[in-house]
Amino acid sequence: MIFEMFRPVHRWIWCDAERRAHKLLRFGETETDGGRDLVRASEMTPDSLLRRLYLEHAIDEHRHGVMFRRRGNEILRSLAPGSNSSFQADWLAPSGHGVDDLRVDEEPDEALLAFLHLSEKTAADRFSVYRDVLENDIPTRAIFEEILRDEVFHMNYTLTQLARVSPQRHGRTLWYERLRRIWKSYLRLAAALGAVIGGFILIVQYFVILPPFAWLAKRVERRESRGWTAISPQSNRSLQRQY
Amino acid sequence: MKILGISAHYHDSAAALVIDGMPVCAVQEERLSRRKGDASFPLSAIEWCLDHTHLEPEAIDAVVYYERPMLKFERILTCALRAFPHSWRAFPKAMQNSLGEKVWVRGIISSHLGVPRSRILFTEHHQSHAAAAFLTAPTRRAAILTTDGVGEWATLAVGHGERKPDGNTEITLLREIRFPHSLGMLYSTFTAYLGFAVNEDEYKVMGLAGYGRPTMVDQVRRVIRRTPDGAFTLDLDYFEFHTTTERSYSDRFVELFGPPRNSYEPIDLETAEGQRFADCAASVQRVLEDTLVGIARALCQETGLTDLCLGGGVALNGVANARILAESGFERVFVPSAPGDAGCALGAALYADRIHFGNPDRDVPDHPFWGPPADGVELARLAREDGHRFEELDDSTLIEQTAADLAAGRVVGWMDGALELGPRALGHRSILAAPHAVAMRDRLNRDIKFREEFRPFAPVVPIESADRYFELPPGGARLARFMSGIFPVRKEWRQRLAAVTHVDGTARVQVLEHAMAPRLHTLLEAYGRRSGIPVLLNTSFNLAGEPIVNRVVEGYTTFRRSGIDVLVAGQTRLTKRASPLANAKEEVTCSRSVDRSSAR
Repeated sequence: MIFEMFRPVHRWIWCDAERRAHKLLRFGETETDGGRDLVRASEMTPDSLLRRLYLEHAIDEHRHGVMFRRRGNEILRSLAPGSNSSFQADWLAPSGHGVDDLRVDEEPDEALLAFLHLSEKTAADRFSVYRDVLENDIPTRAIFEEILRDEVFHMNYTLTQLARVSPQRHGRTLWYERLRRIWKSYLRLAAALGAVIGGFILIVQYFVILPPFAWLAKRVERRESRGWTAISPQSNRSLQRQY
Repeated sequence: MKILGISAHYHDSAAALVIDGMPVCAVQEERLSRRKGDASFPLSAIEWCLDHTHLEPEAIDAVVYYERPMLKFERILTCALRAFPHSWRAFPKAMQNSLGEKVWVRGIISSHLGVPRSRILFTEHHQSHAAAAFLTAPTRRAAILTTDGVGEWATLAVGHGERKPDGNTEITLLREIRFPHSLGMLYSTFTAYLGFAVNEDEYKVMGLAGYGRPTMVDQVRRVIRRTPDGAFTLDLDYFEFHTTTERSYSDRFVELFGPPRNSYEPIDLETAEGQRFADCAASVQRVLEDTLVGIARALCQETGLTDLCLGGGVALNGVANARILAESGFERVFVPSAPGDAGCALGAALYADRIHFGNPDRDVPDHPFWGPPADGVELARLAREDGHRFEELDDSTLIEQTAADLAAGRVVGWMDGALELGPRALGHRSILAAPHAVAMRDRLNRDIKFREEFRPFAPVVPIESADRYFELPPGGARLARFMSGIFPVRKEWRQRLAAVTHVDGTARVQVLEHAMAPRLHTLLEAYGRRSGIPVLLNTSFNLAGEPIVNRVVEGYTTFRRSGIDVLVAGQTRLTKRASPLANAKEEVTCSRSVDRSSAR
C-alpha cells in the first residue's frame, strides 16, 4: 500500500535508461542469491515434497536472475558510451526480496514457508508497481509480467504447504512472521544507526587523536628501506603470543 | 597429540585436525555453510572434524590459529596512520571490522570450544603457508616461497625447510617483502580493474590473459618495479587499496591503462575494448611470472636445493608455476591442493606439531581428500522419493556404464569418497565430460556452469598416458598432480582435445596416479578403451557463484538445476527424466486448498 503511494517516484526512478539497467542487473543478483537460499532450503528439509517445491522455486529465481541480467545488459549496450547516471535510488526501489534476510539453516519449514509467503507477496506488490510504471519499455515490462505470474505460484504453494505442515497453527505462524519481519527491520535500522554513530565517533577520534601518531608513522615509514626485510631468528617466537 | 588448526575471518575459512602427526580431516567452511568463500569462524568445519573423529573439544591438546591477529591489527592501524588524512573514510570501517571480532580470536575460540586459553596458539600467516606447502610435500629438503595478498605484514616470504633423519623438522623463513608491496595485491587490483571479484576471480584474469598479448608490460612495470636487491616495490601513486576500502586502483592507474571494465558488461573479445582488457590481463600475468621466476631463480642459487615448495594464494597461478619449474632451476616444484588461506588451517596444525611441540616427522599422505565422504545410498533415497530413474550397480558395471555415458556425449556429475581440500575438483567432486569438441566446452559454460565463454576447462589424464597428450617437462607431472601447472597440449592432439585446450594451446591438466583416485583412474582407462583417448574434461562440481558440492543432496540439487545428464555417487547412478519438475506443481495442485483469508 505504502509502496503504491510512491508510484510517481518509481516512474521517475525507472525513466532513466542507465539507472533502469543497473537496477535490473542488481535485481538479477538478488534473484540469483534468493535462488541459492532456496536451493539450500531444499537441501535441508526432511520433507520430500517441500524439497521438490523449493527446488522448483529456486529454478524460477535463477531464471528470473538471468532474465533481469540479460535485459539489463541489453539496455546498457544500447546506451551511448560514457553515459553515467549518478543516482541509483536503490533504497527507494528495492528488488523483489528487498532487505529480506533469510537464514535458511536456522529456520524450520513452517517458519521458512511463512517467511517465503510474505516475502513473495511483498515482491509481487513491488513488481506490479514497476511493471505499471514501465509502459514505455515493453521488453522490461514483459519480464515483470512473466515474473509476476511465477510469484502467484510461489505465493500459493507457500501458503498451501504452510497449511499442510502446520494445519493447526498456520494463521498464527503467518502473524508471528509478520511481527518478526518488523522486529528484524527494527534491528537492521538500529544496527545501521549504531554503525553510523560509531563511525562518526571514530572519525572524530581519527582527526583529534591520531595526527601526532600519523606524523610519527610517516617519519618511520620514510626511514624504511624498500625491498627485502630480513626475518630475524627471534621472530620465530612463541606460538602463545598473538603479537 | 591432537591439534586443531583454524583459518578464519578474511576469506575461505577452514578447520583441520592433526592426530599424532597425521592429518585426519580438513574441510573448508564454505563447503558446509554453502556460502562461497565463507570467511566466518569455521564452527561447522570444526564440528565436522570433531564428529568425524569422535572427539570432544576437551580432548584437543592445542588449537592453532593460522596468524597473529594483533600483529595484523598493528599493520591495519599503521597503514591508516601512514595514509593520514586520506584514510579517514577507511579508518572507521577498518576499526569496526577489526575490533568487532577479528582481534579477539583467543576469546572466540575459547568460548566456542570451551578449551583453556593456554591451549590456543598462533602461528604467523606465512609460517602457516610455508608449513602447508613443505610439510605436506614428499620431499626432505626444499626451498620455500610463499606469496599472497597479505598476511600480518608479509606479502611474500622465502626460506627453506628440512625434515631431518632424526625426526626433527625445521622451517626457516629468511626474508620477506612487506605490505603494501604485494604481488597478490597487484594481481587483485587488476582483477578489480577488469571487473571481476577480488579474492575470488583472480583465475579469470589468468584465463583471460590467454586471449591477449602482453602489449602493456611497460605500463605494468611502471606500477611494479624491481629493487636492486631482487625484490619489488609497488608505486603507490597507482593504488588505493592501502588507503580506502572502496577502490584498489587510483585515477592515475586509470590514466595509464584506460577506463576500467564495468563488471556487468560481458567481455566481447571481438571488440577493441574487449581485446584491451585481454591485453591488460596478459601484461600483468607476464610481469607476475617474470617477478616470481626472478625471485625463485635467486632462491635456487642461494639455497642450492633442487626442490621448491610454493604456498600462498598466488601459487594457484598455474601459468606462473609452470614457468618457475621451467626457468628457475628447481627440478621439482610442490604446490599443495590448498595453497591459499584454507590450507593454512592444516599448515598451522602441522607447524605446531612438528616445530612447536617438536613431535617426530611423519610422511603426510599425498592426496587432497580430507573432507566428508559422499554417500551413494543417500542418492538412491533422494531419487526414490522424487520418482527418478536410478540404478545401484557393482563397481565395474558402473565404471563401464559411466564410460559409455561419457562416450555418448553425456555430462556426468561424479561424487566419490572424501571431499577435496582446496579450490580444485581433483576427482571426488567433479563434473566429467568428453574433452574432444569445442561444442562441449560451450555447452558446459552455457548450460551447466553458467559462466563466461572465455573460461577454459581442465583435463584429467592417467599418469601413464600424460606424456602422450601433454608436453610435460621434467617435474611437470608432479606439478600437475593437484592441477597446479599449465602445460601445452601436444599439437597433434589439440584438435581432438579441443574442449580442454585453451586458446593459447595449453591446459591446466591433472595428472592422475591410480593410488590417488582409483575409481576415476579406472574410469579414464575405460573411457580410453572406448574413445581411444584416456582423457576427460574435469571441472569442479558446482554452478557459478556456488562452492563445490559436498554432500550428495547438494550434488543432487545441482544435477537437477543444470544440464548435467547423469549423476554418480558411490554405487548409485541417476539419470534425468524428460520433465521431472512437472510433478511438484501437480502435487501442489492436488494438495488440499486453504482458505487464504482465514490464513491471513
